Amino acid sequence: MRSSNVHFPKDLAEALDVLHRQPGILIFAGGTDILREQGGRGIALPEDVLYVRDLPELRRAGLTERFLEIGAAVTVSELLELGNAALPPLLSETAYGIGSSAIRNLATVGGNIACRSRFMDLWPVLACLDALVELRDQGGATWMNVNRLVSENGKPAFPEGGLLTRVRVPIEHWDAYLVRKVGLSDYPAPETALFSFAARAEKGILVELRIAFAGELAIRSQALESGIIGRSLPLSQRECAQFAESYRELASALSEGLALQFVALVGGAFELLAR
Amino acid sequence: MTISFILNGEDVSANTRSVDRLSDILRERFGLLGVRSDCRCGRCGRCLVFLNGRLVPSCIVPAFAAKGKEIITIEGYALTEDYIDITEGFKDAGVATCGFCDASKIMATAALLEHTPRPSPEQILDQLSSAPCRCTDPEAVVKAVQAVAERRSKRLYHRAL
Amino acid sequence: MVYVATVRSPIARGSVRTIRFPRLPAGYRSILPADIPGRNRIVSFGAEVPILAQDRVSYAGESVALVAGPDPAILEEIIATTKVDCDEEEPYLAWESFSSDQIAAKRVAVVGDPDLAFSIASQVHAEVYTSGSIEHYYSEPQGAAAAYDYDKIAVWCATQWPFHVRDSVALALGCREEEVSVRPTRLGIHLDGKLWYPSLLACQAAVASIACGRPAKILLTREEDFRFSPKRARSSVSLRAALGPTGELSAMDVRIAVNVGAYGPLADEILSQAVLACTGIYSCPNLRVEGYAVTTNTPPMGAFGGLGASHSLFAIESHANRMANALGEDPADWKSHNILRKGSPLLTGEPLKEEPPYDEIFKRLAAASDYRRKYAGYELVRKRRAGRSDGPLRGIGLAFAYQGAGPFLSGEASNSYTVEATLDKDLRLRILTSAAGGAGRVIDVWRRSAANILGVGMDNVTIATPDTDQVPDSGPNTLSRNVSVINRLVERACEAVQKRRFRDPLPITARSVYRVPKPIKWAEGQVSGLPFDTAAWAGTVLELELDPWTLEPRPLGIWLCVDAGHVADPERAAAALRSSAVDALGACIVERFEPAGGGEEATMAARAAYFRYGLLPLRALPPISVEFLEPGKRAPVKGIGELPFDTLPAAFLSALSQAADTAFSSLPVSNAHLLGSLGTP
Repeated sequence: MRSSNVHFPKDLAEALDVLHRQPGILIFAGGTDILREQGGRGIALPEDVLYVRDLPELRRAGLTERFLEIGAAVTVSELLELGNAALPPLLSETAYGIGSSAIRNLATVGGNIACRSRFMDLWPVLACLDALVELRDQGGATWMNVNRLVSENGKPAFPEGGLLTRVRVPIEHWDAYLVRKVGLSDYPAPETALFSFAARAEKGILVELRIAFAGELAIRSQALESGIIGRSLPLSQRECAQFAESYRELASALSEGLALQFVALVGGAFELLAR
Repeated sequence: MTISFILNGEDVSANTRSVDRLSDILRERFGLLGVRSDCRCGRCGRCLVFLNGRLVPSCIVPAFAAKGKEIITIEGYALTEDYIDITEGFKDAGVATCGFCDASKIMATAALLEHTPRPSPEQILDQLSSAPCRCTDPEAVVKAVQAVAERRSKRLYHRAL
Repeated sequence: MVYVATVRSPIARGSVRTIRFPRLPAGYRSILPADIPGRNRIVSFGAEVPILAQDRVSYAGESVALVAGPDPAILEEIIATTKVDCDEEEPYLAWESFSSDQIAAKRVAVVGDPDLAFSIASQVHAEVYTSGSIEHYYSEPQGAAAAYDYDKIAVWCATQWPFHVRDSVALALGCREEEVSVRPTRLGIHLDGKLWYPSLLACQAAVASIACGRPAKILLTREEDFRFSPKRARSSVSLRAALGPTGELSAMDVRIAVNVGAYGPLADEILSQAVLACTGIYSCPNLRVEGYAVTTNTPPMGAFGGLGASHSLFAIESHANRMANALGEDPADWKSHNILRKGSPLLTGEPLKEEPPYDEIFKRLAAASDYRRKYAGYELVRKRRAGRSDGPLRGIGLAFAYQGAGPFLSGEASNSYTVEATLDKDLRLRILTSAAGGAGRVIDVWRRSAANILGVGMDNVTIATPDTDQVPDSGPNTLSRNVSVINRLVERACEAVQKRRFRDPLPITARSVYRVPKPIKWAEGQVSGLPFDTAAWAGTVLELELDPWTLEPRPLGIWLCVDAGHVADPERAAAALRSSAVDALGACIVERFEPAGGGEEATMAARAAYFRYGLLPLRALPPISVEFLEPGKRAPVKGIGELPFDTLPAAFLSALSQAADTAFSSLPVSNAHLLGSLGTP
């Protein structure tokens, strides 16, 4: 097992410089995804590694007037320590369910979002919240909605090149929400996924509706959401059934079991709007 | 590469491959056998150490990630008064363990009480899931950690007086 | 010291042509079958397992060679670059139907006239119940060390059976048994997975030590332990039951197949236990049971929290619940009508010596769990439900079992155990038994018994370190012998010392030898003998619901009531039962994997299964209540550790079947199967 050349940039500028010179370099923060299925004595990593966990610019988290801003190298534990006053409840509930507390002390928010093999737990919640991620390179910074980190066939499509530096979660009030993990395991597997739902009403009218579901594949349809927004609340039982049914076709890309669970969860979400 | 870090309160260095596991370094270079290196995927909890005050599975911490950090293993923690609170608290609660998971349970309890002096049963069970073991009785473990919290709280109170 | 690593077969079945090692650095050497000075075999219950497979391999991952050297990191690299060239043959992986050359053991028993009973039966109910493999998930992966200690070879390993290790190492080294000293290390929670496998590792360490002339240590990685050490055998129990006009059980036709993997080292015992438990707690006057232990080209399978009875107890309890349902009866009532009573003949013909306290156990369970009301309520909802979304998806299940303590049932192993006690001049008592290594807190039970008999303080009673050159052979530490057989032997040895104490000079040593009063004998469709010395009885109720959104099972509560006889420390005993209940629940819900064949795809699947395997998170657990019946005046100490594994799975399956309105018959129930059965709302 050979050793890797590890770069320890002292700040973001230095990190971006290394990234510019070695565009394919492995970016390593907490490493919980990279290392979860290695198992051998030594760790197999590429020849060059860019260690970003200690970059001060990536470790900050805080609230502005409009956003919760989280550095990409903030751990899931540190995210939870921002407290319920700062975090939307669906985000804190989801973060609390990630791995064990020891894993949460290592796993970073950025690492969770940038996973390329599958969607990890934070993605569907952040997608629901219309969060933005900042990608930086030496040329500058781009903010991208997390919903764009999905390919046409529903797989993760985190862009190559660039460093994920910050996540911005809009501060919004939600009247109803639901997050549920499926798959009978706290470990990522083909049958595991996370469902996220949030809705807001104003003067008895549904003004916002977000539904996202992701495991190995991601599902979200803003078109379906737009078709339901504007309804009066509470929804009738017939409307709940009709809207849940409209999501059935969307689930056809999923395995039979996951599709059933997804539709049941969608039904459950709409029932919250029928109360 | 040579990595330098603080280990159980002392400045140390180790000449190691950047991709060696911290758990193996602690065991083999420093003889700290209380840290195991078994599952090598961060699940079994037998390699828990404090890294900059946070409980982490050291088997998925590569050597380079330990550079400049402060690490405390069970051996270092065993020299603290908090350790005595935990071992005595477990004893007071009459909790028997298999013997192999003791260090993991102690470290997990320590990490919990550092941030949450009076944890709820749910918080205790969540935290002790970092140290899974076939011998764990959920009721006993809640009772034990609550006994530890009580003991620790009394000690700190008396110290403050 | 040298570390030892294992070169393993990449194929499940076939022959080894060559092993191509890389260039080995100085201080490293390979160890091949030819380097084994004695016999290249360990023997377990009549089955032979190679220490290093020579020529033929029987499962992917089987040891074919060892490499020894001072640095484990270098050893790992050597193993990774060693090539094993094989001629691969089609492996035997099927086991529920199998060919005759896969049969490692067969047990047949016939009682009464089942054909006649079936011909006049009012109803016949048939089903096949299968249960999957479970990983022991030890806190410490298995391993062994060996070194010369003057004129002996000393061996260290965690083992339930120190004398089996001793005899195996002596056979492997071609030396006398007295030249081997086994020094058992901490055993921890063994769940019956350390009966024979440590002997294999001990032989490998001993052979390496002799070959290298240095102390040698072999330590499996957790992944190796998961993939290659014995797991709970998979089983398929086909039950056909005849009921009389009032629903009484009149006959059963049972076929049991247990997949014991390669070699089947515990095949006889597992099968014997499964066969003798096939009627569970019920009286069944007519029975035909055929059991097969089937070898396959997967790693040797074995025991888990019991040596085989749980396979059958799961099946019969699930079937009892299913039949009660078909009759429109509460399973509690059906069980009460059909349970064994004092004097009822067991399968061997021996009468049951005590009255199973079913009624009292059920009364307590019903009170604690509100079983009657919930069962009736959930049945009503189930029958009237228009669709999945119509009412809560809840179920409650009841299962009842016994745990026998005492002898092996296969008739193969010697059932003779010895304990020695010595009282010295300072009135200190020393107890010598090879069972001490795995006794855990039971040691306090022995010490208390001894102290009471001799009228000395407990501080004056010590248990000798169970090194095999110091202690007598007290047999394997399994089947709850520590609390039953060994405890009685300690008492008898102490009583013998006490008798001589005021007449003979000190020190006084007494030995107590146990021989099974009526050993089990199998012959031509008949089985006779006493299957257990004592039996503990238990019932479990489990309530669950299917989460209305995820549709996944969520246990709401578990209640156990146990007739444990005399319990020295009820809190500790309850804690042990609760932790076993957690393990049994985990096996129903999250612990699942299939032992693999050979080849790259199977290896990848096996590795993925290893990474995914985990215990149930503590926060997902329901409340677990444990109650003990008050013991009778002279109630013995009974073994109870297996009871959660014997009862909880059937209670879970029944509860899940009720909640989902689907008759499941396999555990674990895959999510896909469960969700498929629920269908659209």
